[in-house]
Amino acid sequence: MTNDTTERTVTKETQQTTHVGTLDAKGATAVTTAGVIETQSMSVYYGPFLAVDDISVSFAANHITALIGPSGCGKSTVLRSLNRMNDLIPTARTEGIVRYHGENIYADHVDPVEVRRTIGMVFQKPNPFPKSIFENIAWGAKVNGFKGSKANLEGLVQEALEAAALWDEVKDKLKESGYSLSGGQQQRLCIARAIATKPDVILMDEPCSALDPIATLRIEELMLQLKEQYSIIIVTHNMQQAARVSDETAFLNVKLDDKGMRTGRLVEFNKTDEIFTSPKEEVTEDYITGRFG
Amino acid sequence: MTVEAPERASRGNFPEEEEYRGLLNRRTRNARLFQAASLMALTFAVLALTTLLYTIINDSFGLVAVVNENQPEDIVAGLGYDPAETSLADLSYDELVGLLQGAVSSGVGRRLEREQRFYEDRLVFETDAVWIEICSSDEPPPGCTAGLRDGANVFSLVQERVVVPDVIAAYELVPSLLSPEEFDAEVAAGFESGRFGEYTPDQVNIEWRAWFSMTFLRSPASSIPEVAGIRTAIWGSVWLVVITVGFAVPVGVGAAIYLVEYAKPSRFNELIQTNINNLAGVPSIIYGMLGLAVFVRLLEPITSGAIFTDGVPPAENGRTILSAGITLGLLTLPVVIISAQEALKAVPDSLRSAGMALGATRWQTVRSQVLPVALPGILTGTILAIARAIGETAPLILVGAASFITADPTGPFSKFTALPIQIFQWTSYPQVEFQKLAAAASIALLLLLLTLNAAAVILRNRYSRRAQ
Repeated sequence: MTNDTTERTVTKETQQTTHVGTLDAKGATAVTTAGVIETQSMSVYYGPFLAVDDISVSFAANHITALIGPSGCGKSTVLRSLNRMNDLIPTARTEGIVRYHGENIYADHVDPVEVRRTIGMVFQKPNPFPKSIFENIAWGAKVNGFKGSKANLEGLVQEALEAAALWDEVKDKLKESGYSLSGGQQQRLCIARAIATKPDVILMDEPCSALDPIATLRIEELMLQLKEQYSIIIVTHNMQQAARVSDETAFLNVKLDDKGMRTGRLVEFNKTDEIFTSPKEEVTEDYITGRFG
Repeated sequence: MTVEAPERASRGNFPEEEEYRGLLNRRTRNARLFQAASLMALTFAVLALTTLLYTIINDSFGLVAVVNENQPEDIVAGLGYDPAETSLADLSYDELVGLLQGAVSSGVGRRLEREQRFYEDRLVFETDAVWIEICSSDEPPPGCTAGLRDGANVFSLVQERVVVPDVIAAYELVPSLLSPEEFDAEVAAGFESGRFGEYTPDQVNIEWRAWFSMTFLRSPASSIPEVAGIRTAIWGSVWLVVITVGFAVPVGVGAAIYLVEYAKPSRFNELIQTNINNLAGVPSIIYGMLGLAVFVRLLEPITSGAIFTDGVPPAENGRTILSAGITLGLLTLPVVIISAQEALKAVPDSLRSAGMALGATRWQTVRSQVLPVALPGILTGTILAIARAIGETAPLILVGAASFITADPTGPFSKFTALPIQIFQWTSYPQVEFQKLAAAASIALLLLLLTLNAAAVILRNRYSRRAQ
């Protein structure tokens, strides 16, 4: 039942959204609508290899944007570039501009630690810390200088767990290890952990790929609730998932250059309805109808 | 067993039935052969270890032929007891002190009293006036503040000073148990050949002796093997391990954290890595040379404690526990670094990503998430370092472990000896008693090693449980 209502809200919001369109390097300057994150001609290299080239997308606030595409097309690379997680890979290098509320997060004066706090992330495999459920959530607050009392911290943990729809299941065992939870619960714990640091945007890198269908459904419901407060960008292999939850979809594809190097490029970016019902590019249609990928 | 395969036209490139059976038999035979070979290797290792333990235990207990300067029976009889009913150990504290008073010179007596007093309310060898004077001097002897001697202590003093035993022949444990009469024959033959000098057979007592005993562990070194112990050497070894671990673990773990968590792949870092791996194989005597040149000589003001005091330095030269401990620390550093690196590399990257994605700095992530998970592995490296440090002899000889010392080390600037040094020295003496002492000290060394390792293992298990 809850599912139905949320579905309806999505449709309404999608209808209201009219400003999204395909961006290219030239068009990006002319864009008037301010996305929460905008990339302009972003390219990522791993050493000498160009992993993704010339990505220009505007991610709208309080929307779910899905990144889809075949394996190796650089979806995760794009996602990790949005909060500078790629900096952790020693050989990775990002060119172009990524604006967060208009400010280039790759500018010299920007501290990546601050970027990651504002733009949180949930990973493909649930990765709770080997600590108690409580500590899993409280730690992020503590390292970010949480000044509240113990009661405040407990309140924050409860709030985060409630937002991640996990509170009722774990409220009696907050002291138990995060590993004692099931895979789906662990992933919701990771979402709660990301929420607890009060981010603005949450990046999700195939958050359901390690989960069974029921756990997947719960995460999807959760995403639809969360987008009221957060902007969500999700990488997914599951086309139905993209269609179910996202407002906009970006389709990336692999291009082979003459030397046989695989580089990901943005093929099409549009409202999810448009992408799934009347894609502009033939290759998009081929992909979403399952003819390759 | 044969399995009937259904008839088929051809097996392609696979061997036909007959040939396959032959191959299978050969493979089975090979498998059995290698299993037997590995079992033999294990048996050999266990045998070697058993032999080692057998040898040192065999040497540490057994029958001895003792000649006492004063027979305990005579001493007891002299106090008016029946020697058949009362032994020396049954005497009261006061009687034992009385025996000492009668036997030792006043100079020796005063020295004993200054080490440790006999009575709370009265002095045995010193006069009150002198005692008050020396205790209010700048350097009061330990007896002014230390507790009183206990019964066991005074009993061993009586043994050493009044009975004065001299072991003239010693037997090993197994023959002592199986054929004690042969030892009697051996001693008798010794007298016939004149090997025991001016002693006469009726002076000889044949008795059991445990060379490895509580008294042995509690007594300081001595040139008289009957009363020599290893207390000084044990404390020396413990101090060395503490300083070694205190130096090698923080530095080693720090280096490992840098190399694993921070260092970007580069030629320079590869070079450092290769060098660390090579350093782990450098012979310990080389580290001894380094310790001698750098810590004992070059850094003498520090290692002798001279720069920490205005007046007299705590040690007269750099041959201190501190020098030796840091030398052993350097020796074990590569082992600690390598094992800490392995432990850190084994921590899944997903934990680092998770920490960093929450807006934690790299150091916050390493300290709170990565290190706790790596701690059991780091402690394993520490165990290896302890095991290596406690058995090292060569570098200690070079940095100047004292060959004979009776004072326990009191701090990092003390002169010292260590268990392996003590064993090494005893084995080089010709007298059979010292060989027995060396065997007993080997047991002590193994036990100390086991104790320290057990402590580290318990610590490791506690942390690995907590990390779950």
